[in-house]
Amino acid sequence: MKLDFSFIWKAFLELLPAVPTTIQITVVSVLCGFAIGTAIALCRMYRVPVLHRIAAAYVTVIRGTPMLTHLLLIYVGVPLLVDGLSGRYGWSFRSGDIPMIGFAYLSFSITAGAYFSEVVRSGLLAVSKGQLEAAYSVGMTTTQALRRIVFPQAFAAALPNLSNNVIGMLHGSTLAFTVSVVDINARAEIVATTNWKFFEAYLAAALLFWGLTILIERLSALLERRVTRYNRGGVA
Amino acid sequence: MIKLTGIAKSFGKNEVLKGIDLTVEKGEVVAILGPSGSGKTTLLRCINYLERPSDGEISIGDSSVQCRKPAKKDIQALRRKTAMVFQQYNLFRHKTALENVMEGLVVVRKVPKEEARKRSIELLEKVGLADKLDAYPSRLSGGQQQRVGIARALALNPEVILFDEPTSALDPELVGEVLAVIRKIAKEGITMIIVTHEMGFAQEVANHVVFMEGGAVVEEGPPKAIFQSPKEERTRQFLARFTSESAYSI
Repeated sequence: MKLDFSFIWKAFLELLPAVPTTIQITVVSVLCGFAIGTAIALCRMYRVPVLHRIAAAYVTVIRGTPMLTHLLLIYVGVPLLVDGLSGRYGWSFRSGDIPMIGFAYLSFSITAGAYFSEVVRSGLLAVSKGQLEAAYSVGMTTTQALRRIVFPQAFAAALPNLSNNVIGMLHGSTLAFTVSVVDINARAEIVATTNWKFFEAYLAAALLFWGLTILIERLSALLERRVTRYNRGGVA
Repeated sequence: MIKLTGIAKSFGKNEVLKGIDLTVEKGEVVAILGPSGSGKTTLLRCINYLERPSDGEISIGDSSVQCRKPAKKDIQALRRKTAMVFQQYNLFRHKTALENVMEGLVVVRKVPKEEARKRSIELLEKVGLADKLDAYPSRLSGGQQQRVGIARALALNPEVILFDEPTSALDPELVGEVLAVIRKIAKEGITMIIVTHEMGFAQEVANHVVFMEGGAVVEEGPPKAIFQSPKEERTRQFLARFTSESAYSI
């Protein structure tokens, strides 16, 4: 087998326009997932009546099924729901108006929510109970105590896990090709089949993903150094 | 004035406090003594509602909480009239010494930042930590952390400061510096309730001593009476070790 090095470079350049799509899917699903995950972790830790059961069920069901299955169910299920509702209430909105990437956003956010909830929970558990008690002892309300004292420390403790999961979502975003979203992976597929150079095209995609992953690792290391400054004494 | 009436607390079937009555006058320094498991720390933690009593009434100044059906607002009011110094210091780990002291002033009392800063620096100077303003707790010794804890409590200008075995986690060399600070503020007429195992210190600083055992108050009175002529056999027994020890050291 002979590797066509110049084509790897050519494929690499052709993949670049798809990078924003991959980043968009990752960023949206990570941000929404983090918000959902935080809400779920809090519901479960504080045993909010009714909600904590729903939250627990959500986590087992979502973590118990593959990300691809979520995407396919959303892709097929949401149009049924939307068109059904539109028909009944006479809306002009149809499922055809939903952009393909919307399905990816929705489904991956739901997936990320379940995984991130466990990351957030472990972060919250890493903060000692004494911190909350001290916050109460100076007169803070629970909201103030969580926002000012518990969350900053929980975030610092959860960062390594968090960056791990962000990388997981980046790589998982490749599944979007199944609903015809052209991300890096789908673009590589197109470049590969039109030129009959599969290995080179996939290699170029791998390089791109590797680069993005290194970027996430660097950013998280930087952030970690900043938010855990207090552990090493910092400016003292 | 602080008034506790019939404070009871159970953990499951284990009755930790069996209806405690206690009155503390303004400016009084109260030491609570007793063997481990006597409920003294639980009682202290009930006063600012870190522990929820199952029955009784707590009143500090003009606010009071009915422990049978406590209102969130009342608990909040209670906590704003008290401050606590913890056995494990519990400084906010992600904040510097100065930020630890400022936090309650700025967030809870809504004091303007500059003013809070000025007051906090004064307090840290008072506890001898003027050179550690920007140090994080992880860079401070136990004794220094506890002194920041005391400054944090003082900053809120509370009606009472609750000390939960403030020197128990410190090695013997550092106990002195913390006790010196507590002694200093005791002289300023701040109301304090101290749970401690430092008998000598209790005798010296307190003007009221409470001896507890098995979730009940066995005996209380001025330190002289409790330490030198306790009425109850159990108090005598408990203090015997301490008094004979000090007899040796003379």
